[in-house]
Amino acid sequence: MSRSQSSRRTGSMRPVNAAADGRKMRSIIAEDSEWSLELVPLLTTLCLQHIIKHFREKPILDELTPKYKAYVLQRLPTSLPLTITANLISDESYWKRCCEGRWAVSDVSTYDNSWKRMFFERHLENIIEFFIPDATDTKTVLDVVPLCRNYVKRLKVSQLLPPIRESPRFDEDDRSDCASDTGSEGPSMDHFDFRILLDKLPNLEELNVVYGVKGCGMNFEWNLFEFTFRDCEFLAKALHSCKTLQVFRIHRSKVDDEKCCLLVSQLLDHPSLQELDFSHNHISDRGARAIGKLLNRSQLKRLVVCNNQIRGPGAQALAHALSKNITLLSLNLRLNRIGDEGGQALAQALVKNKTLVNLHLGGNNMTEPTAVALSQALVENCTLKNLNLSNNKLGVDGGKVLEEGMSHNSSLVECDIRLTDVSQDSEYSRQHAKIKHKHDPSAKV
Amino acid sequence: MLQPEPFAGEEADEPGPSVESKNQAERITARRLRIAARNETKTRQELGEDSQGKEDIQEETRKSQKEVEKSKRHMVKLQSDGLELVTNIQVAVDARESDRRTELEEACRLRRDKLENEAKSSQEKFEEITRKWTDAKMKQTPLDLRDAMNSQQQLCEQILGDKNKLISELQQELKASDDHYVKDLKRQAKDIDLLIERMEEQISSLKKSYREDLQQIENSFDEERRTLLTKHRKKWGHQMKEQSEKELRNMMQGLSLLEEHEDLLQKLRVWKAEEYNTDKIRMDTEVQNLRKKLQEVKFNCHLNEEKLDYKYEVLKKREEENAILKSHLKRKIIRMQDVLNNLKSKCASQEKQLKTEEQSLRNDYTRIKQQYIDMQKKARHFAALDAERFEKLWLINEDEVKALAHRVLETDRIIHEQQLGLAWVSPPLPFMERSGPIEHKTLRTASQAAADTLQEETRGDLVEESEGLGDTASGVNRRTVKRILELLCDELGFLVESKLLKLVSHLEKNDQSLIKLDAIFSAIGIESEKDVYTMAEFLMNYRQHGREQRELMEEEETTNNSDFIHHNDLLVALKEFTAQYCRPHGVQASQKSSVLGLIMRDDSEDAAHWESIANVIPESKLRLWSALDTAINKYHTVLTERAELLVETQNVQQQNTELRQLLHLYTTSKASAEPEMQPTRMRQFPM
Repeated sequence: MSRSQSSRRTGSMRPVNAAADGRKMRSIIAEDSEWSLELVPLLTTLCLQHIIKHFREKPILDELTPKYKAYVLQRLPTSLPLTITANLISDESYWKRCCEGRWAVSDVSTYDNSWKRMFFERHLENIIEFFIPDATDTKTVLDVVPLCRNYVKRLKVSQLLPPIRESPRFDEDDRSDCASDTGSEGPSMDHFDFRILLDKLPNLEELNVVYGVKGCGMNFEWNLFEFTFRDCEFLAKALHSCKTLQVFRIHRSKVDDEKCCLLVSQLLDHPSLQELDFSHNHISDRGARAIGKLLNRSQLKRLVVCNNQIRGPGAQALAHALSKNITLLSLNLRLNRIGDEGGQALAQALVKNKTLVNLHLGGNNMTEPTAVALSQALVENCTLKNLNLSNNKLGVDGGKVLEEGMSHNSSLVECDIRLTDVSQDSEYSRQHAKIKHKHDPSAKV
Repeated sequence: MLQPEPFAGEEADEPGPSVESKNQAERITARRLRIAARNETKTRQELGEDSQGKEDIQEETRKSQKEVEKSKRHMVKLQSDGLELVTNIQVAVDARESDRRTELEEACRLRRDKLENEAKSSQEKFEEITRKWTDAKMKQTPLDLRDAMNSQQQLCEQILGDKNKLISELQQELKASDDHYVKDLKRQAKDIDLLIERMEEQISSLKKSYREDLQQIENSFDEERRTLLTKHRKKWGHQMKEQSEKELRNMMQGLSLLEEHEDLLQKLRVWKAEEYNTDKIRMDTEVQNLRKKLQEVKFNCHLNEEKLDYKYEVLKKREEENAILKSHLKRKIIRMQDVLNNLKSKCASQEKQLKTEEQSLRNDYTRIKQQYIDMQKKARHFAALDAERFEKLWLINEDEVKALAHRVLETDRIIHEQQLGLAWVSPPLPFMERSGPIEHKTLRTASQAAADTLQEETRGDLVEESEGLGDTASGVNRRTVKRILELLCDELGFLVESKLLKLVSHLEKNDQSLIKLDAIFSAIGIESEKDVYTMAEFLMNYRQHGREQRELMEEEETTNNSDFIHHNDLLVALKEFTAQYCRPHGVQASQKSSVLGLIMRDDSEDAAHWESIANVIPESKLRLWSALDTAINKYHTVLTERAELLVETQNVQQQNTELRQLLHLYTTSKASAEPEMQPTRMRQFPM
């Protein structure tokens, strides 16, 4: 060590001498033949390395010149605490390293190509997803909030854990007991309370929530998938407080009519909400009525209520709202049971509506009368582009009527009538209609 | 030309997997291409006919574009197909799910019915049991009771059996649904596997086709690039060759030019050297001359310097003198100012004096005026006295004159009677009877004359005739004068003041015209009657003078106005008259003095009077007298000459005697010739 140091010193002196007096140049041969000046690190690099080493205690970054800043950022460890880095470092490459170090798969294109945003969003999601009520301190969430509040735009919470405190007792008990107890001890089964979080995120635009456990495997228990009334209350209030929210999705969370009404009542007149997704829940006619009310008291552009239990009356309520609506562009009612009653009502609403572009009515138990109504609606309507009627028993006659209706329509681009028992001719015409261009009036149906 | 290409592309693409949809897509794309091509041609037409090369490039690029378009279409088709393939599974699953739901619903309904039926039947049975319980209470005998109990037990067992059967059925259903669930799960897993498989397939096929298309596009681009490269290289080589040739030519030209220029330079150099030599010599001589001149100039300069010095001195002295003079003048100015002040004060005092003087002079003036008035009085008085004296004098002189006349007449009579021996007739002597100064009848003024003439009308013609004699002298008929006056009255109304006209309007016609005429005369400047007549005469003359011109007109109105001036000419004529006869103002002034009261006597007649007296002896008589006088004088002179000649003869006789004595004396002395001359001279003297 000392030898190398000494040699380094002599080596560093040599060029100075040579520069001072060229004639008196004297060659000093180093002891190590493989040694060369290139191996000696510069003082600046040493300094920078020091900075990197002690970044935790003394973060110096903005004072550096751009060149050294890049050097430091390249070499900073990703294990640094977020309290230091979150608001100090804006460099993408650092955050890219953080993300790649933490998650195997990361598609930055869905995050506006911002690695930092991605990192914080996923970080926060992680914290929420593994938050156990009563067991985990709320501080763990609240501590992160000031760090990531400026970068989080979307939260995709794919699971919410229930409190585990009483679960052992339930395991011992009978299954039927368990079911009855969950009802009585509902409040104790509350999940993470979104109220403490949502009003602190000023840039939040999208929220996806699933009240359920992911990948439970053989540890399945019904109470793992319980969306209690209090949860719903908290969530509704949290949504009400978050004024920047544009997209709200709640999937597979057993949202029934009561909870739906509660959520909708808090979302009425929301200033920015544009998309609402209640897929895979238990909403039936009352909930549909509530959603219909919401349609005309908000700026909703997309509404998804697929795989629910909406029947005729609910669809009628939605159709009534739709006939007055001027904002909604897309409506998805896949896998409901609206039947002919609802289908006809919706078809009549389409006559009046001038904004709806996409309508999905797949798997709705509709038959020929609906096809007749829809073909009449298609003659009048000139905004609808995509219509999905798959998995409805329209029948051969219904297909023909629909074909005739489409021949008078100039806007429809795609009409899906797979598995609707229509004849081959109609199927053929359907394929024509699918690629029919709306600006090409000469195209034959 | 452009349309067939997309169709060709369509044909090329047609052998694809799905015919119908493909055909449609082809059609759409073909249309799009056609629109694009049309736009392109339009733009090209707008740009004008460009070079051939550009078109080639466009065509070549079109090949690659076509390729891109084709691949795009292909990809879209593939994607839609793939999507359909994948979504088919979803749709199928959806269908299955909906089917399951309907089944579930059906099962639910059936189960519910079954349960209801069961409940009903069990209720009936239960009711039966309860009824039997009451019956059993009625039973008295234990045997009956036992039977009843047994039957009850059987019934209960029946119910239980039913219930158990139901439970087992339900449990079986549950199991079946469990199985179903498991199967569903498995099927879903399979479906998902299928989905994934298809997606992967799709992805791989898409990848493959993308790669192929990319390859094709790249190939086409490469080809295009190569063709372009070769073309450009060829072009480049060609141009390079041309360039080198051109440069070579230019170089040759430059070399020849260089030689020419070198020759020229040599010539110029020689020529310039000669010129330089000649110039040098010339310059040397010039330099010498200039040196000489310089010296002269220097000398002159020196001289001038001295002169200037001297002059400077002189000027200095003069300046001093001027300073002295200036001070003198200043002093003088001061003095003058004093004088001026004195004069000013004097002037002021004089002004005062003058004022007082003026005052006194004014007083004097008033006094003198008073005196003048007094003097006038005196003058009048003296005038009266003078007139008296004049009359006296006049009488005395007249007496004297008369006496003299008498004497003259007497002498005339004597001359006639004694000298001529003629009978003497005394001439008429009117003045002898008269005595005292001539009393002039005052001149009649013009207005009076006019009045007279106007009044004659009324008096009639007789009067006129009687007075006509007096007026004939003026040569104008009274009547004509009257007419003229009337005419004047009519024509010259403008000279009369309007005020006067107003005053006059109520009077008689004659009076009116009289007053008007008075005003008119005063305006024209006519004062006396004579003037009136002269005017009338002038006007008549004027008429006659202008008659020749106006004869035709006159002939037509021969009656009254024939001898009359035309009223149109009157104004012109009057103008001329006033120009000719206007009186000088001096006369008027003299008349004005008479207005003062000093009646001036008109002595014009006096001279005539005295003349007439003086001319008692008429001219013929005077001539007679003068002839007589000259004859008598001649006679007298002859007589006197005779007397003188008598004396002379006596003197000459005496001289002769004396001279004879003298001659006698001289003849005795030396000179003999001269004395002969002397007596002739002596004789000539008395002549």
